[in-house]
This record gives sequence, C-alpha cells and structure tokens, in this order.
Amino acid sequence: MSTSTYTTPPAANPHPRLRPGRYGIAIAVAAVVVITLVISSLLNYVYLDTIPARTSLYGLLAVALIALGTYIGVRAFTRDRADRRKHLIRAGVLLGLGTLLWLLVIDVFVFTQAAGPLIAALCALACLPTTAFGLFVVRRMDRNEKEPWRLVLVAAAWGAIVATSLVIWGETIWDQVAQHALVPGPGLDASTAFSAGLLEELAKGLAVVLLFLVMRNDFDDVVDGIVYGAAVGLGFNFLESIAYMTNMYAIFSPEGYGWAAAGLQWYGRQGLGLFFGHTTYTAFIGAGLGIARQLPNKRQKAFAIASGFLTAIAAHFSWDAWVQFFPIDNTLFGLVEMHLRTLIMTGPFTAAVIALLIFGIRYEAMGLTDQFRKEAATGSGAILLEEVPILSSPWRRLKQRLRAFQRRGLRAYLEVARLQSAQLDLAMERWHRERQEIDTPLEAEDALRLRVIELRHWVPAA
Amino acid sequence: MSSTPYDQVQTLYRTLLVFATVAVLILAVGLVEFVYFEPPGQTTGVKARIVGVYTYDPATGTTAGTDRSAFGRSEEFAAVVDWSGLPTNLSVDVRWYDGFGTIVGRVGPSTPAELGNSSVVPVITPPGLHHNLPGQYTFVVERLQGGLPVEVLARRIVLVER
Repeated sequence: MSTSTYTTPPAANPHPRLRPGRYGIAIAVAAVVVITLVISSLLNYVYLDTIPARTSLYGLLAVALIALGTYIGVRAFTRDRADRRKHLIRAGVLLGLGTLLWLLVIDVFVFTQAAGPLIAALCALACLPTTAFGLFVVRRMDRNEKEPWRLVLVAAAWGAIVATSLVIWGETIWDQVAQHALVPGPGLDASTAFSAGLLEELAKGLAVVLLFLVMRNDFDDVVDGIVYGAAVGLGFNFLESIAYMTNMYAIFSPEGYGWAAAGLQWYGRQGLGLFFGHTTYTAFIGAGLGIARQLPNKRQKAFAIASGFLTAIAAHFSWDAWVQFFPIDNTLFGLVEMHLRTLIMTGPFTAAVIALLIFGIRYEAMGLTDQFRKEAATGSGAILLEEVPILSSPWRRLKQRLRAFQRRGLRAYLEVARLQSAQLDLAMERWHRERQEIDTPLEAEDALRLRVIELRHWVPAA
Repeated sequence: MSSTPYDQVQTLYRTLLVFATVAVLILAVGLVEFVYFEPPGQTTGVKARIVGVYTYDPATGTTAGTDRSAFGRSEEFAAVVDWSGLPTNLSVDVRWYDGFGTIVGRVGPSTPAELGNSSVVPVITPPGLHHNLPGQYTFVVERLQGGLPVEVLARRIVLVER
C-alpha cells in the first residue's frame, strides 16, 4: 500500500477547513433544492387535478434517485482512492441525468400542455439552434481558458429544468395572493415583477453558486462566472420561450394568428432577446461569484455575491415592471419600437456585463502572461521563453494551431491545441497559487507541469 | 511609499458595487411605485356587491341565465353590480381585465348615485378579434381617490376556456 494514498499534501492556501466548509454549504444548498422540489411535486399533485399533476408526483422519484446517489457516494469513500473517484463520477453522472430527465418530462407537461405535444416539440426544435448558438458564443467569450462543455451544458440544463421547477409554485402562490389582494394596474405589475425578479434569479443563481462551491478548479474568475451565469440564463430562456410560444399559439390559433403569435415570441426571446434578458441577468450573478472567487476577505466576498444577485434581480425587475410603459403599436413601426424597447430597457445592463467581461478578460490575460514568464524563467521546460508571446495572445495561439494544421493536418492542430490548453491550465494554477486563492495541493501543479512536458513530446516544433 | 501592486480585482469589485447601488435605486423606485399605486391605510371597510356574472346579449343589453364562473370564448358575458349598499358620494369605477392585464370593459368613474341601482358591465371583445381571448378575467369594483383606484371594493375572477 502506498503511503501517499492517505497523506494530504500541503495546500497553497493554508486554510485546512476551507474545502470541507465549501462542500458543506453545497450539500445544504442541494438539500434545500431537493426539499423544494418535493414540496412542488406534492403541491402539483394536490392542487392540479390534471395529467401533468399526477406526472409531477413522480418527481419524487428524483428524490429517491438522489438518496440512492448519496448512498453510493458514501459507499464510494470506503473504497481505495483509485476506485473512489470512478464510482463517484458514475453515481453523480447517472443520477444527475436521471433527475434532470425526469424533471424535464414534468416541465414539458406543465409548461407546454396548452398547445399539445406536437406544437411543443416544434417550438422546442425552433429554440434549440438559437440556444445552442447562444451557448457557443457564451463559451467562446472566455478567450484564454474555455470552460468544459459538460459544465456549460449542466448549467444550461439547470436553468431550463431545475430553476423552472423551483419557481413554479413560489410564483403561482405569490401571484394568486396578489391577484386577490391588490388593485389591478401598475401596483400589481410591480408586485409580479418583484416576484419574478426575486424568485427566478434566486433559482437560477443557485446553479452558479453550486458550481462556484463544488467545481472550484473550473471556476477561476469573473470571466468564468459570467460564462456559467449566462449559460444558466440561456437554459432558462430556452424553456420559458417554449412555454410562451405554446401558450401564445394556443390563445391565438382560433383567431388564425397562432403561428404569428408564437413566431413573435420566438423572435423576441430567441432572436432579439437571446443575450439581453435572462442571459444578462444571471451573468451578473456569475460575475459577483467570479469576483468573490478572487477577493481576499470574507466581507468583500459576501458583498460581491450579494451585489451580483441584487443587480440581477433589479435588472429583471425593471423589465417586468416597466415594460408596459413602452407599449408597442400594432403597426409596422411596432417592429422598430420592439427593438428600441429592448435596447433601451435591457441594453444598459447588457453593456454593464460586457464591460465586466472585457475588464475580466484583460485582467486574466495580464495574470496569465505574468505566470507564463515566471514559469519560463524556472527552466522546467513546460513553457519556453519564446512561447510566452504566443501563449499570451488568443490570435497568435490560433495562428500557431493553423500553422500546425497546414503542415500536418487536423491531428497536429488538435495536438497543439491540447498543449496550449495544458500550458494555460498550468499558468492558471500558478496564478491562483500565487494569489493564495486555491486549496489544491502543490502536487496538482506538478502534475499539470508533467502533463505539459509529456504533451510536448508528441508535438513537433510548430 | 507602498510597493504592493494594485490588485485589479478591487477595480472589478468596486465596479460591481456601483452596479449594486444602481440596483438598489431601481428596486427602491419599484417600491415607491408600488406604494404610490397601493397606498397603505386605504381600507374603508365598504364592500360592493357583485350580483353575478351572466351571459350577455349585446343587442338588447341584457343578461340571462345563472351566475357562472367559466365561459366559452365565443360566449358574451357581463357582470352585474348592485350599488345600493354603497355611500352615494363615493367615487367608483368598474373594470374587466383580461389575462394579459388589458382593460376589456369599463363603467365609470362615477358615483353610485349617478350609476343608479345597478350596472351591467360587459366584456368587450378587442377590435380585430372574433372572440374573447382565453384566460382568467378579473372584474373589480374600485374606489377612486384623486382619479386613481386605491381600493378594491369587490372582485370576481372568471375563466374563459380555450
């Protein structure tokens, strides 16, 4: 038996309790989510006497799956270290997929029943390419170290499935109480907007919080936060678009305007509003968490996270509460007004997120360049001095990959891409270690260095 | 003189704090808007009586049948309000709102004295549509103050089926 299996190497950040604390919060958040989903399922069953309500009861299956996953997870810790990781990943992936798929079935029933499954399927098909495009763009925004597709897709799936399931009863109860108690008009609209802003942003934000707590190695800074937040928003926007399209179709089809009404919703939410609405709002939450990731003290971290949530809630609220003050004419000019309204009302928020993103990318690039130089100076061979200018520029990195492609084809392109990616990972690890904002042991950095050197053997000089 | 380089994360943090300050202002404006349109302390205890919601014949302006809470989209319907129990000088109006919050029927503003014993308030199908849009329709009898509705004296919600 190797002794290294059970020894804990020193962490860069000398706070031994940091990791367990983080994971404890993550477990608590997950527990709240599960309990809320159970309550939601029961309420659906008791109060909605329809097929989807009965289907929703089986949402409890999700709880059983999570319980089973926990059991497998706990059992995994009794295995040796090599097997443990494998079992944990298997349990996590299978149970996570099962839960998400089941919730998706419920969501499809609950949100799209108005127009029937065929129309719902067509609306979903119409929204898929635009949402996929949105996710592609959002992921590409991280110029230096792109987030893994699996996490970006998990974030989007949470937005589409879990977040919508979490808010349905909260919003329904809030709206019912308000509808029976308030004077219809702007006051009631403001109340509904508070409900949507608060509940939807909290539900979406939980996904980004969990990624922040659990996937710390893939959550580096403000840029990553914006990417994950925007991905959650795109997922939420995907299901909301389908719900609105099917609803509008069902309302207006007897008048002969069904497809036009659904098409207008599609354009407003999947075309014009793809990056403006939910994508922008939740990106603020991600930005707050990303900035908190790199702040030195707890008070500042708390303020940053709260600020991200507050800005997201306010941006969402402002649209929902005040959109009626910008009415759209029922004429051709209405099309111009529709664009202007989005630009004026949500444009400033989107511009603010872009400003944070640009600054974040520049700051990240400065930090990485500094680490490229420092690593090159060590003479380890992982990063060479002449590679520093190339690695520091996304365009030069691309040119290097293209040059490899021209010389030796796609395989060479991919090999160089893998090498560059490993070098960026190493620089990122070094950057976090220097800033004392990492809790992985020094061995992790050495492993990254060895990987770069290993990859370099396979890549001829480009 | 300090030689510690300035941490750029602080710039990001401060920028976010500025955004959060703007966010607080937005939410405060929203709260003020809510209080303006829902002023506290406006409960008078006065209750209006909605006799019922019935099918409606626009040609004769009369209602028929029994009090119902659901209608087909091709059915015309109207609410009947009994003004007899209200103070005669109260400023009131009545409105129908469709599922989108659009006003689709209205009588007033006026006083119960001017409105007589009762009012029939039909839902008007919006121009360009053949039938009423499906969804929840809210009928409210409101007390006005300074031209603004400040209290709901009676409320009924009916469903227009798909």
